[in-house]
Amino acid sequence: MIELWFGILAFMLIMFSVLEGWDFGSGALHLVVAKTNAERREVIAAIGPLWSWHEVWLVAAGGTFMVAFPKAMATAFAGYYLALWLALWSFMLRGISIEVGGHLPDPLWQAFWDVVFAVSNVVLAIVFGAALGNVIRGVPLDETGVFTLAFFTDFGVRGRVGILDWYTLSVAVMTLFLVCAHGATYLTLKTQGPVHERSNRWASRLWWAVAVGFPIVTLETSLVRPGLFHAAMQRPLAWLGMAAALGGLVALVTGRRRQLEQRAFAGSCAIIAGLLGMLAVGLFPVLLHSTIAPEFSMTAQQGASSPRGLQLALYWWPPALLLAFGYMTFIVRQFRGKVRPSQDHQGFY
Amino acid sequence: MQVGKSPQMYDPTLWHRLQFAFSIVYHYLFPQLTMGLAWFLVYWKWRALRTGEERYAKAARFWARIFGLNFAMGVVTGPPMEFQFGTNWGEFTKFAGGVIGQTLAMEGMFSFFLESALVGALVWGEERLGPRKHFLTALGVAIGSWLSGFFIIVTNAFMQHPVGHGMSEDGTLHIADLGAYLLNPWGLVQFAHNQMAALVTGSFVVTALGAYLALRGRSAEQARLYLRHGALTALVASVLVAFPTGDQQAKLVARHQEPALAAMEGRFQTQSSMVEITLIGQPNVRERRLDNPIQVPGMLSFLAFGTFHSEVRGLDAFPESEWPTNIELLYYAFHVMAGLGTLFILLMGLANLARWRGRLETTRPLLWVLMLAFPFPFIANTAGWITAELGRQPWLIYGLYPTSEGASKIVSSGNVLFTLVGLTGLYFVLGLLYLFLVGHEALRGPDAAPHGHAAHGQPGMEGTP
Repeated sequence: MIELWFGILAFMLIMFSVLEGWDFGSGALHLVVAKTNAERREVIAAIGPLWSWHEVWLVAAGGTFMVAFPKAMATAFAGYYLALWLALWSFMLRGISIEVGGHLPDPLWQAFWDVVFAVSNVVLAIVFGAALGNVIRGVPLDETGVFTLAFFTDFGVRGRVGILDWYTLSVAVMTLFLVCAHGATYLTLKTQGPVHERSNRWASRLWWAVAVGFPIVTLETSLVRPGLFHAAMQRPLAWLGMAAALGGLVALVTGRRRQLEQRAFAGSCAIIAGLLGMLAVGLFPVLLHSTIAPEFSMTAQQGASSPRGLQLALYWWPPALLLAFGYMTFIVRQFRGKVRPSQDHQGFY
Repeated sequence: MQVGKSPQMYDPTLWHRLQFAFSIVYHYLFPQLTMGLAWFLVYWKWRALRTGEERYAKAARFWARIFGLNFAMGVVTGPPMEFQFGTNWGEFTKFAGGVIGQTLAMEGMFSFFLESALVGALVWGEERLGPRKHFLTALGVAIGSWLSGFFIIVTNAFMQHPVGHGMSEDGTLHIADLGAYLLNPWGLVQFAHNQMAALVTGSFVVTALGAYLALRGRSAEQARLYLRHGALTALVASVLVAFPTGDQQAKLVARHQEPALAAMEGRFQTQSSMVEITLIGQPNVRERRLDNPIQVPGMLSFLAFGTFHSEVRGLDAFPESEWPTNIELLYYAFHVMAGLGTLFILLMGLANLARWRGRLETTRPLLWVLMLAFPFPFIANTAGWITAELGRQPWLIYGLYPTSEGASKIVSSGNVLFTLVGLTGLYFVLGLLYLFLVGHEALRGPDAAPHGHAAHGQPGMEGTP
């Protein structure tokens, strides 16, 4: 039961990363791939009507975290108090900029919100990257069972760590490159003309940057959490993640070579999902890893709510998920294909 | 006096409460309008589909623009609440997360996915979707927003009147009976009361815009539509808010939260029969009395318990530790809500009388009042929620878990004050943007083309960097 809910939570966060990843990436590249106002509207329209559906995966994951692991949620959220609020404010600015940007036909108004949108997406990509780094590295949980984190301490990864250190920073930068590459691949698929050309070029550059950075971050991870790879390799599910990531890589490379944009994009999604899946398998059963001493870590078992509650939630969760995919399919079918700016002009909502 | 003895600034719980109260009051300004407007959109889309009349399609298109902006504000200001359960109310989450987490997760899974998938298509997908699917989209968004309200109210109802739960060995709560939890009688009544109040907000806003257009002599056909549909819905909803939903809600409070009822009415002394209801008066907590009261004899006995001869216990019947912690604000909030609710029925009764006599669109003084009345349902809704939440004090879960236990232990007052101030600043800016953009939309009126399309029609706009 605990495994299942750990898996569900991981699944929701992976969905969020893949889906919102391309929105973050497209948004962060917004100013460089689109030069004119019309081109920028095209990028916003490509991000499309579903960005808030993507964001809901995070909100729903928050609710799921609470129902399945209330103690872990309370401990982690209170520990990251200020960081979480800063992330929330960035989220608000991003949401607002996409909503109001197209609302007035005034070039300065739109230019201003375009910049707010791009900057908040870069910030969010970095914030989520740093959060991922924190999940892997762990938090300074001690015998009291609570922790608080400074933004940074001595930039080391053991003992009284801060949110930012050499490791979490490098994961954050890596994440930024990865979601930008993902976003560029998405924009290549969804746009035409000059935006398409520039997105295509940026996708090449960014995937090369990812290819260079990834081995470095992997090596760093093996130093920071030595047991992680070992744990992952002993579990068959991790091999599935590995297969997805490798398959995604093949699809990405061949797709980009032969200009099969859908294949390349599917590959990009599979890479992110596969890597994160592998990571989740490796992290189990620890929810909050202690950087002070392993015995202070909080496992999924310790953070979980009562078995009865977990059992109950299983009755309604699967049908709700099916419904969620139902709505998405409906919308995706309506909006499939290249963006048609005259129709898909996202005035606002 | 020792300087620096206590680094904590006052009691952190106060700041946690203030931050939650502020962020949820601000947030709820938007969903109440969303939930109210949603059914207008559904109705107009449906009429457009059935009759093919352009005026309905136009009304739906115009209101969808305002709806979209309003919805976006709700989306943006919503997540802070969910996060605060973890960041600010960690102890409460550890204790009750297994119960309240269920409905909060359901809200995400059942309603947010539905709403967020469809709302974009509702606002700017009319061309891509065609009339039938576009109508279904409006319906889906309306259902999603009400469902969301339902889950939140069930969560709140558990805090007001806990049912369906059990205690685990580790001292935390779990759900023992999901059906009992979801169909909490308190929740059903509160949901009905709240949804009718949301409809009041929506219909007052629709009416106000109709009144504005009528006063300006613009878009006469649309003005007429908004005025007529708005005023009729507003009358029906205002009556339903008071009776039977508000009446039932009051009876629940009388039965399960007696100290709250006493404080809402400013009753410090128990009285055995013919207990009067207070229309006007000021609670004087220090002297334990109500200053300058204007009262109607017997009504409180009747409204709370159904007969004029029922006893109503005053605050003197309860130890002070069980009294709501802010009696004055609770009293005023309740009276503002109830007073405004009564005025709403009178105003909309008058408006519908004018309509019946065919003078709704031409009676200028009435139109002025209708135009300026739209902020008051927002105030009444807010006052109602303040009544509910202050009446619940000093409990976080009534009778089960005190508010003083719930806050995160390691988060200091200063940190909360910092985020509260930041949030206030951000919300101020968001509020300005919202008022500016909605005002802009409203002043442009239903006959203007949406900006997106207008911009495309203007050569020169396109290439502007």
